[in-house]
Amino acid sequence: MNIGTFVVKNAFRNRRRAALSILSVAASLFLFVTLLVALREITIPPETVGAATRIVVRSRISLANLLPARQRSVIEKIPGVEAVSPFSWFGGKYQDETHMTFAQFAVDPEKFDIIFTEGKTSPDQMAAFKADRTACIVGKLTANRYHLKIGDRISLASTVYPCTLELKVAAFYSGTIDDRNMMFHDKYLDEAASAKGWIGTWWVKTKSIEDMPRVIAAINKAFANSSAEVRAETERAFQLNFVSMWGNIKILVHSLCSVVVFTLLLVSASTMSMAIRERFRELAVLKALGFRRRELFGFILAESFGLAALGGLFGIGGAWLLYTYGSITAMTDGIFVSFEVTPRIMGQAAAIAAGLGIAASIAPSISVARMSVVTGLKTLD
Amino acid sequence: MALPLKYNLANVFIRWRSTSATILGVALVVAVYVLVQALAAGLEKSSQNTGDPRNVMVVRKGSTAESSSQVTREQFKLIPHLPQVAKDETGQPLVSADVVVLINLPRKDLVSEANVMLRGISPLGRFLRPQVKLAAGRWFEPGKREVVVAQKLANRFANFELGDIIKSGNKHLTVVGWIDGANSAFDSEIWMDADEARSVFDRENYSSVLVRIANPAQQAAFSARIEADKRLPLTALAETSYYSNQTMAAQPIKILGNFLATMMSIGAIFAAMNTMYASVGARTREVGTLRVLGYRRRSILIGFLVEGTVLALIGGVIGCLLSLKLQGYSASTVSLETFGESVFQFRITAALAMKGLLFSALVGLTGSFLPALRASRLPIIDALKSL
Repeated sequence: MNIGTFVVKNAFRNRRRAALSILSVAASLFLFVTLLVALREITIPPETVGAATRIVVRSRISLANLLPARQRSVIEKIPGVEAVSPFSWFGGKYQDETHMTFAQFAVDPEKFDIIFTEGKTSPDQMAAFKADRTACIVGKLTANRYHLKIGDRISLASTVYPCTLELKVAAFYSGTIDDRNMMFHDKYLDEAASAKGWIGTWWVKTKSIEDMPRVIAAINKAFANSSAEVRAETERAFQLNFVSMWGNIKILVHSLCSVVVFTLLLVSASTMSMAIRERFRELAVLKALGFRRRELFGFILAESFGLAALGGLFGIGGAWLLYTYGSITAMTDGIFVSFEVTPRIMGQAAAIAAGLGIAASIAPSISVARMSVVTGLKTLD
Repeated sequence: MALPLKYNLANVFIRWRSTSATILGVALVVAVYVLVQALAAGLEKSSQNTGDPRNVMVVRKGSTAESSSQVTREQFKLIPHLPQVAKDETGQPLVSADVVVLINLPRKDLVSEANVMLRGISPLGRFLRPQVKLAAGRWFEPGKREVVVAQKLANRFANFELGDIIKSGNKHLTVVGWIDGANSAFDSEIWMDADEARSVFDRENYSSVLVRIANPAQQAAFSARIEADKRLPLTALAETSYYSNQTMAAQPIKILGNFLATMMSIGAIFAAMNTMYASVGARTREVGTLRVLGYRRRSILIGFLVEGTVLALIGGVIGCLLSLKLQGYSASTVSLETFGESVFQFRITAALAMKGLLFSALVGLTGSFLPALRASRLPIIDALKSL
């Protein structure tokens, strides 16, 4: 028997405890990874390629304030602007649902596909969407959720406008960060809601990234001191505004999470040191046999580190498997969409596992170093 | 014959080295559980605290929040003359046409921003909401660009001190007072004169109408009257029920709380199990002795279950005490109905604390079951021989 097998045999001699230790480390690291991923998704919205040349224009008062439709021609004339489309939040409840379950926006169908290039759809479907004023294009996730087919007629009761729209499903899209939204013709909304002349936000595509700062400044300036002042900003900045809205609940949740992780690690560490403390007598025997302290530390560290590493492997690997191959959208009923377990998060979790393995071996190592062979042999516990 | 309780209790304290980590672990788990649920409870409570049972709110049919509702001036003119509407001592109908506008304002750090709900109210509007009191300064004057802000918002947003000027685009509003909404949803609002608000923010229509109905029995009649009127695409509902339905934001917090509790309890059960196994292992000889003395297997089993439960309950009590530190602490998040900032307080209720304790007891009971079973099944002779 060499030293390696000795350590392994020792670690698994009390199988039940080894399993409990590994499982508790695994549970805590699984939780740690889950919380980090969730916080990341809430606080750092995923970046998309097309966002680099997109500008969002909203009312300076707040997003909830409408903008006059006449602003469009002014924005279109600004040099560097490639396309402009209204993007109005409809807030519709699907059929008999009591809450809004996905977002719908009224857009200009002719400009929509120029501005949003990420979404993939077939040319036929896109043409069908553009051709019919009552048509809509639906994200794949929503389409799957409600088993929608091309040609289906659906109704949406708006919580914002005083109307219910009957829409025909003409196209599906996929490939964006969030394939849940629905878009339909702004003209149709104008008629149905008699809201002609007002829109929610403008989404602007610039010809190049270099044009962005200049176009943003030009849009802001164009409506300064008018009755409808606007705030133009990059799509990224627009999204980050939502993060700020969460208020200090974000920090609260964050600190609660740290407490949770700390707790579980504390408990795991204590379990592992318990395992070693119980073996004091054997360590004393080894000492008597002539093993030096350095070697005893090595045994303890290897065992503790090994258990923590196994726990980490199960916890982190389990989280990665579950969130990469399971459908997070289905699990959380659409609250989370991407839930990406990044290498960075896995690295952080692995570092914690390693730290735990080392930390758990410190207390027993000190006791072992201090003990005399005689007291060690006499130890009962 | 039951094992003396003292024996098991004493064990929890004598083996403090291995039990303290478990106790602390359970304590933190319970504290987190109670706090997250207290957050959700506080959020719900602030909605439920809002409104006067004598009031009825009129909004557009189909809108779920005041902010998306519209009542035209023509529609509004019909309402004060309805027979059910109460009048004040001078004969004025107690009606307030409100306009709500969501405005984006910088937080105190001047870096981040959030939406705040601004409510324009009619001159009688504040008498319809007696729970809102002036905390400092004075009320706004109708016809002037003056506002009163919720005191609870004052330390969260820039320019909310008395005399400061709030800028929303090119519109300037002077803060003349602070209001205290008694932990209601009004603690997250800015108030000003309704018609002034309409002119400042270019609103043709009102958002909602609040009506006092003197006789509670007549509320149904009033609602029916509004529903039946073809000229009014409106709906009337009790003010209190309108607000108590606004608790969507509490839902994700509750889900988070339950998720955390489930995951943490797994970890905590493992910990309790380990501690109890170690405790049983170390006391093998004692258990053998107890059996020789005539204690039954069942007594041993129950004894160890009690020990594990007490261990976890001590943790539970410590956890509840820890969480009490945050009682009443005010927090804010976005309301998922109005998209405005919503300020609320942590609310640790007796029921929540009991739930936390029950939770810890369950952790202890589950965690100690297998070790206790093992202790009760130890063969006497072997147990006595063990070191």
